[in-house]
Amino acid sequence: MEEKSARRGFLLSKGWLQAVIIVMLLGFTVLGILAYRTYEDGAPVPVKVLDPQGQLLFDGDDITAGQQVFLHNGLMEYGSVFGHGAYLGPDYTADYLRRSSNIAIAENGGPPVDEDGMELADDPDPGPASDIARQKTINQFRENQFDEESNELTFSQTQTDAFNKLIPYYTRFFSADNTENGLRKEAITDPEDLRNLTAFFAWSAWASAAERPGKDYSYTNNWPPEPRVDNSPTANALVWSAISLVALLGGIGLLFGAFGRYRDLGWHGREQTVVSFRDPSTVALTPGQKSTAWFFFVMAALFVIQCFVGAAVQHYRAELTSFFGFDLAAILPYNLLRTWHVQLSLFWVATSFVAAGIFLAPMIARREPRGQGKLGYFLLVALAVVVFGTLIGSYLGIHGVLEDAATNWFGLQGFEYLDLARLWQVLLVVGLIVWVYMLFRVMRSRLRREHPGNMPWLFFLAACAIPAFYAVGLLARTAEDFTITEFWRFWVVHLWVEDFLEIFTTVMVAYMFVLLGVVREKVALMVILLDIGLYSVGGVVGTMHHLYFSGTPSEHMALGAFFSAIEVVPLTFLTVEAWSFLQLGANQESKSTSDFPHRWAVMFLVAVGFWNFLGAGVFGFLVNLPIVSYFEIGTALTANHAHAAMMGVYGMLAIGLSLFCLRYMIPSKKWPEKWAKVSFWGTNIGLAWMCFATLLPLGIMQLYKSVDDGYFEARQLDFLTDKTTEMLEWMRLPGDVVFIVFGAIPVLYMCFLGVKYTIARRGEDGDGRGEADAELFTVISGTSMEDEPPEISGRPEPTPGT
Amino acid sequence: MNTEVLLAVGYAALLLGGALLLEWLSRHTHNRSQAWRTSGFDYDAQHDFWVCHKGEQLWPTEFDREKRLVRYRAKATVCNACPAKVDCTDSHHGREVTRAVDSWPHSEAGRFHRAIAVMLVVLAVFELAVVLVRNHEPSQIAVLLPLFLLALAVTWWLAVDLIRTPSNFPEAKPAHGNRIGAK
Ligand code: HEM
Ligand SMILES: [Fe+2]
Repeated sequence: MEEKSARRGFLLSKGWLQAVIIVMLLGFTVLGILAYRTYEDGAPVPVKVLDPQGQLLFDGDDITAGQQVFLHNGLMEYGSVFGHGAYLGPDYTADYLRRSSNIAIAENGGPPVDEDGMELADDPDPGPASDIARQKTINQFRENQFDEESNELTFSQTQTDAFNKLIPYYTRFFSADNTENGLRKEAITDPEDLRNLTAFFAWSAWASAAERPGKDYSYTNNWPPEPRVDNSPTANALVWSAISLVALLGGIGLLFGAFGRYRDLGWHGREQTVVSFRDPSTVALTPGQKSTAWFFFVMAALFVIQCFVGAAVQHYRAELTSFFGFDLAAILPYNLLRTWHVQLSLFWVATSFVAAGIFLAPMIARREPRGQGKLGYFLLVALAVVVFGTLIGSYLGIHGVLEDAATNWFGLQGFEYLDLARLWQVLLVVGLIVWVYMLFRVMRSRLRREHPGNMPWLFFLAACAIPAFYAVGLLARTAEDFTITEFWRFWVVHLWVEDFLEIFTTVMVAYMFVLLGVVREKVALMVILLDIGLYSVGGVVGTMHHLYFSGTPSEHMALGAFFSAIEVVPLTFLTVEAWSFLQLGANQESKSTSDFPHRWAVMFLVAVGFWNFLGAGVFGFLVNLPIVSYFEIGTALTANHAHAAMMGVYGMLAIGLSLFCLRYMIPSKKWPEKWAKVSFWGTNIGLAWMCFATLLPLGIMQLYKSVDDGYFEARQLDFLTDKTTEMLEWMRLPGDVVFIVFGAIPVLYMCFLGVKYTIARRGEDGDGRGEADAELFTVISGTSMEDEPPEISGRPEPTPGT
Repeated sequence: MNTEVLLAVGYAALLLGGALLLEWLSRHTHNRSQAWRTSGFDYDAQHDFWVCHKGEQLWPTEFDREKRLVRYRAKATVCNACPAKVDCTDSHHGREVTRAVDSWPHSEAGRFHRAIAVMLVVLAVFELAVVLVRNHEPSQIAVLLPLFLLALAVTWWLAVDLIRTPSNFPEAKPAHGNRIGAK
């Protein structure tokens, strides 16, 4: 290939690029400072915890060990700590806090409690003695007896007694000889493990009530709500809720005001004269592109498996103690299924992204070096090893087959969403780096000819961010302080997913439209940069909206609330404004001389826009204000948001990308248009039904219960088994059936066709068409090639109008 | 009145409201998308022509039956000499603008939003039916039934409209691909 020294200049004015770079730099500077503050001022783990006589009760190593017992047994996929985790089991912070404060009240002369630390009945003697007992308890729990010099914490007598009484309680709970709670039989039996686990819960409950030095609120900003220790929303929570609400409304107003008239921006509706879509099956495929057929097949298989696992998870909620009369928990306890469900959701979406990247790169670069196909298959095998390693590892870990260190490396680490064992986590990072390398070797010469602000570079850089930010998850180590592990975990759960996947998505989708000739490169570039800028303004610092109550200082809450509210602005904007221009693809009104080949791929993108708005924007904001989150965290409204956003945005996108690519693999005559249509309606209707029939109303009821009765009560199993709740849990069934049967299974079938016809086309490489540059091109149009290098021939004469 | 009935009524009302809100939002998005396509052009409904930002008029040239839209075109001589042509069109035959004939929702994206709205009201019907089966004292029926009927009516209204409106997407003709430049 001939070296061209001249790069193509940046297509827009430099201001666009500068703005994006400044936004990114500022965002990460703030996040860096907050990282520092987390280490400095996060809820401390004491070296020793002493009773009032100065005797050692438990030490910091016990707390850490207990945290590992919690994680390695998959309990974060059963219940939660600081509100984060799964929702079938209790929140152990709130649970321990309730039981221990009850015990303390009883000891201080208030109403008696049973051996589980629960009140026997309503306060039999709500007289002055009881009031005094309650006040005493509040003082004992709120007073911070942590000595920052010696790092030692002294418990009050009642706290000490509560700890000693709760060890037997948690022992009974976790070593129960039945599966009634959804855990396996005798899940944890080692007395030391059980004591350490209780110590970990005790620490989290202590941090949730003890006041920060010099402040009148606890390390967790007074979370959970608990009148027994006088935990109620802080002034910060109220103020920043109000401010972030204003920020959202103001932001939307400003943006619409500024962009209301495109004319001011100079964005004329430019006519797409004649777009002529080449029949996709005449587009030559490179070996690398062909390998993606298998990626998509794996993607669809994982998707279907995730659905069935999800159905089983759901069944636990609708009918806890039996699976149609069969004791499922003996083999597949709730927490095992939940970790599979959550991990698979990330895996299949990532598989699709990886494949789509491999598929698009040669279309962008118009070439593919030798060996890309082989690398593709290698990556596929590596991915399969990671996925099945993770699934098997978590089975072995949760069933207690592996021991401590082995669990961590080969079983599961147990952080929700980062559950996989460390070995697989490292391998996955390496795999993603290999993937970036694969893109690089394809794009190398193209990149050399381009300004780093142009689309080929943005595509490549956005891809680089994917391994980079997934790798941050490696900083969350099971033996680290919980507040710190949570901080880094959300760099993956939030920054990686909500920000960098979203950016990569926009670049990829915009590129697809440019390649198809329905959007001009300049406009696409504008949309991409606008998108990166707007997302990052809110999205980067917005990561902290997950860390309102995790023991992080209160500025995390303030900044998190403010910036994540701003995050909704681009979602609204993109849906109502910018995405609507992408809909042009679905709404071809210009006269093309051939059919638009990507009808359903584009429809999935339209769905992505819809779910971005509803699932991420509306349902996300619904739980975003600190004052709402305070009562809501870890309840069905989170599940509602998570499903609508994760499946709605990334799931739909993954399917859309796969259809786009499959369209080139499956001969046009065989293209399963009907199946594509069915899966489009199946997934969308199914998901909408799931959210609106069950998750949203259930979430509203649970939130009401939490505010009215208490957070502890709202997370109790008897809330889930209440009659109305149970009816709601069954209401979703039709939607789930539609989703799986009409949504997921057709996707699997279409991906199967992709593999089938790719195999059939295997011999075709040698029939003379080879991989000539122009053959990798998907569309011939009058507009899309204006800025392209001259070697592309075959530019058609515009067809005369009538 | 028990809580379940009250909740059901409240939530069904919320679903109905949501469906209508979605209808409105979708219509708005759709108009925006139309505006995007024709931004810089003003439509004169009375005389049925468009004016571009340079003041040139575009008159109807054709009615596209298959796609149900009217095409308007400016004079080729004017456009070819226009300094703004690069940002406007590649055509040498004058800039074209289209206007859809069918009322909304004529595009498939509109149909998608409409279908979700239909699903919301169907869900309201379903939910009220389930709750009616579980709670049917006269007073409860008196509250639930009217809303149930209303939801049914809205379903009917939206669904019929959805079925009537075409997606405007030309049916796939597999062998129809254009091979310009393929050989
Ligand atoms: C496509 C974009 C998004 C995706 C895929 C997504 C996904 C998720 C997921 C999976 C969770 C559950 C995490 C957990 O259980 O620990 C979650 C939680 C949360 N999301 Fe999002 N989200 C998105 C956008 C947003 C937006 C725009 C907002 C707010 C404006 C938001 C606010 C929240 C909040 C506050 C939580 C915490 C709820 C809790 O822990 O109880 N999300 N999100
Ligand atoms: Fe988030």
